[in-house]
Amino acid sequence: MLLPSFDYYHPQSLPEALSLLGEMGDQARPLAGGTDLLVNLKLKKLAPKVLLDLSGLEELQGNGTDEGLVSLGALNTASRLASGGPEVPGLLAMGAGSLGSPQVRNRATLGGNLVTARPAADICLPLLALGARVVLAGPSGQRQVSLDGYFKGPGYTVKEPGEILTHVLLDAPRPGVGGGYQKLGLRQAMEIALVNVAAHLELEDDGKTVALARVALGAVAPFPMLSPGAAQVLQGAPAGEKIFTEAAEAAAAEARPIDDHRGSAAYRQDMVRTLTLRALRQALSQAQGSKEEQA
Amino acid sequence: MSGNFEVIGSRAPRKDAPNKSTGKARYIEDIKFPGELAGALLQSPQAHAKIKRIDISKAQALPGVVAVITAQDIPDVKYGVSPARYDETLFAVDRVRYVGDEIAAVAAEDLATALKAVELIEVEYEPLPVLLTVEEATAEGAPWLHDQFPDNVCAQVEQEFGDVEAAFAQCDLIQEGSFFSKRQDGAFIEPNQCVALMDSDGVLNLHSSTQVPHYVQRTLAMVTGLSMSRVRVVKPYVGGGFGPKASATPIDLAAGFLAMKTGRPVRMAYTREQVFLFSRARHGFTHHMKIGVKKDGTLMALDHQATLDGGAYSSFGIATVYYAGSLLGGPYKLPNMRYHGLRVFTNKPACGAQRGHGGVIARALFEQQMDVIAEKLGMDPIELRLKNMMETGDVTCNDLAMSSLGMRECIEAVKNGSGWDQKKGKLPPGKGIGMACGFFVSGAGYPIYRSETYHCTIMIKADEDGGGIVVYTASAEIGQGSETTMAMIAAEAVGIPYEQVRVKSGDTDFGIDLGAYSSRTTLMTGHATKEAGENLKAMILETLAQELGIDQSRLDIKNGLVKISGEPVDFSAIRTGYIKEHRGWQDQPSGEELTFREAARLAYLRLGTLVATGKYKPPVLGGKYKGAAVGTSPAYGCSAQVAEVSVDFETGQIKVERITDAHDCGQAVNLTSVEAQMQGSVSMGLGEALFEEVKFDGQGRILNPSLGEYHIPTVMDMPETKCIVVESGEPNGPFGAKEVGEGAIMPTIPAILNAVRNATGLVLDETPLTPERVYLALKKQKGA
Repeated sequence: MLLPSFDYYHPQSLPEALSLLGEMGDQARPLAGGTDLLVNLKLKKLAPKVLLDLSGLEELQGNGTDEGLVSLGALNTASRLASGGPEVPGLLAMGAGSLGSPQVRNRATLGGNLVTARPAADICLPLLALGARVVLAGPSGQRQVSLDGYFKGPGYTVKEPGEILTHVLLDAPRPGVGGGYQKLGLRQAMEIALVNVAAHLELEDDGKTVALARVALGAVAPFPMLSPGAAQVLQGAPAGEKIFTEAAEAAAAEARPIDDHRGSAAYRQDMVRTLTLRALRQALSQAQGSKEEQA
Repeated sequence: MSGNFEVIGSRAPRKDAPNKSTGKARYIEDIKFPGELAGALLQSPQAHAKIKRIDISKAQALPGVVAVITAQDIPDVKYGVSPARYDETLFAVDRVRYVGDEIAAVAAEDLATALKAVELIEVEYEPLPVLLTVEEATAEGAPWLHDQFPDNVCAQVEQEFGDVEAAFAQCDLIQEGSFFSKRQDGAFIEPNQCVALMDSDGVLNLHSSTQVPHYVQRTLAMVTGLSMSRVRVVKPYVGGGFGPKASATPIDLAAGFLAMKTGRPVRMAYTREQVFLFSRARHGFTHHMKIGVKKDGTLMALDHQATLDGGAYSSFGIATVYYAGSLLGGPYKLPNMRYHGLRVFTNKPACGAQRGHGGVIARALFEQQMDVIAEKLGMDPIELRLKNMMETGDVTCNDLAMSSLGMRECIEAVKNGSGWDQKKGKLPPGKGIGMACGFFVSGAGYPIYRSETYHCTIMIKADEDGGGIVVYTASAEIGQGSETTMAMIAAEAVGIPYEQVRVKSGDTDFGIDLGAYSSRTTLMTGHATKEAGENLKAMILETLAQELGIDQSRLDIKNGLVKISGEPVDFSAIRTGYIKEHRGWQDQPSGEELTFREAARLAYLRLGTLVATGKYKPPVLGGKYKGAAVGTSPAYGCSAQVAEVSVDFETGQIKVERITDAHDCGQAVNLTSVEAQMQGSVSMGLGEALFEEVKFDGQGRILNPSLGEYHIPTVMDMPETKCIVVESGEPNGPFGAKEVGEGAIMPTIPAILNAVRNATGLVLDETPLTPERVYLALKKQKGA
């Protein structure tokens, strides 16, 4: 399989990259890890005239915490996220760690996963559940977009062709907060989920009442989706099996899976219920664990 | 078993390990020739259509294109695997029969140009009804894919051994069951690739990633019209084959024609998608079995029907459909067996041979039914198996002679090794344990074409200074370790250390070898290698005996030293001569014994270059009935496995946690390689049991032609595997050795099925056991 021919640019700063992107419009495609883009070029699904290699942009690298807000650079690899660390919420580390294989994780990036916007994307789901925002830099400056509203369809987002995703912003990990990630596939690696679920729970100081919850569902809609019904059921309720079961039911009712060669819609619907329940249990145990650790 | 061997049975490091572990091993992709052209194939996008018109003019006119060929440009010769069923032409003559059927080939200065030219070839199709299932292909009024095969029946087999109906009449229990499996892909790591070039002697050289240089040479010669001596096939390192690389590919042949036409080297390669399109891998099988037993568990009779979805051409299918029946003759004493086999053409890529050829799903259903029978009779499944087990010397009702059979030892080994008695019936909910047995031929008894040819020949040449030997073999190292095996056998036979043996293999100029299929290489090529080694040793010792003036029977070579029995003999003249010849060398022979080096050098000085040869073909094997050629073998390897699984009742996911595996390989040549074959078999069986399925849309296009969407197990999916090697000592094998490569896969699927049944109570009848299939079955069970 051959790559088609294309021009290659290696800008050294974000303004330079944005200016090149502005000149070339939708003829150009930004290149980060290439785990998706290069494959699609070989498959002739995409034929951009120009590839704009982002690896020289320092603005997209590095992570920081400021006043309880974590900023993650778009060029973080999945491996880096999977290895965790103070800035990386456990839920994100779990999702990133289940992406592809070690080789793929060494190349695939945070920004790439968000821009590629596949319905079962292992990094998108945790970020959606974490209430993350993305920073999009464009010719007229930066804008922040909540991930709830960022995804438009498989491979489509609100990002304009002239924009580059530079960062992800999210709340810093703190006690009383926990996440759960459940991925169902045939095998243990190199797998696109049949269904995946990310759950985020924030507990009140009593360590029991749910202050805030988000449940993100994968592979059951054209893009990663939140289940508002599950969040609503959970909020203000005492965390536990009863309410989790109700939330799982709500999530299953909101999922919109289709039949394809990987699995039937009916099976996926059932699995949303099972995985949501498991993800919530996992999130609760993490939230209570982090509480205990602090105490 | 291990006899008094110096090399055999050790864990000698593989000859190819340094190259492969450092990236120096050269595969076809790494071998470049000056002036190469790139070739590309035009393959049909239609599953079934008449070709009304082909226009290559635009492709020919594209700058950089050197040649474009279609069926009009080559001899009208049909080929295939079995000569009685030659049904393929390199390029479609007037009809395409599957998505991927070859129509034309292009050679150009570079691959991009060749691919562009392929797009410029215009083909006008007239669609024909697309037959994608056995039911569609055998329906009343369905069009025939091939005029010479009425009703789309590729092959039909009717066999009866004993009297099945009479036996059923005496049975206390008759158990019936069915099984449905899906088409697989070989999923070898290296996609097929080749380079063809004419040399200055007028010989067409083909370098190809193949399991069978000899059959590729024959097919290429026959299709091009060249004589065998004008075609040479060379196989460099190969990244796996598993069966689908056991015949000539369209790119082997097209590259040959293009090299002849252009006078330049032509390289052709399959993409991964094209590997799926060429296929020739495991068939989808449907089996139905009726098994009769007495209430004490005695097996009485089997009535078996199998239907194979063959795809568009015969390929290996005639052998597959026979194997599907014949490999149930053992390893249990089964006095009466009836088999009805049917292979049907459909508009999909042709299926062929894959590890455990034809027998894997038949074995899965039979072993599953054995467990059901055991339960109905109130017996432990192991007890039922042991009760009916054949023993060394037994012959099956279809004339397969078990010249060695360590089946009982294998069962005992996995029973003890897995802790069966502590676990069976005592596991927590969701956990299950199951076992199964199986066996496989140790080499097909007959070549694919009718011939009295030797199956392999070997040439061993001693280095002129006596420092070592070179084994020349046309056999195919495809990753299974045959070069190492032959080096070990030669070392043992000659009596020298393994390090003193080099192996040159995979070149038809080195002799005949039918190739790496049917688990034949260790036994057959091993025999020829042993014979050549012994002949070389005899030549050396005969010369030495004359020189020393003693009887040859007093001489032997062991571990590089000459052993002289009886009275001490003065060999100082030989040593002095050698040392004088090598004045200035640092490593002069010393010590109290004469070395192989000195003896071999002496023989060279007396006789010239020392070359010894060996050869092998199986003795006359049993079976006079139609189809007896498939299944009869000089020996049979056998296996037992215990699988332990956990089943997630809420998702249907199965995790295979542990496999305890015992295989009787007669005598391990290289213990590490035997274990590696056992682990590889478990991996492949696990994939077939749980994940693997080639899927098609309604137009016959493959939906998942990539290793991302076609799921083979990753290392993360592999269970803990305990390998126990059983050595029964095969009288028909070199140093007692027989196969491991395919017998080892036979029990994997049924052991998993039986463990899942133990965990859930479900008798599942369809593989792969995807979470959804298992979940739905569990749901149905709950509802029932």
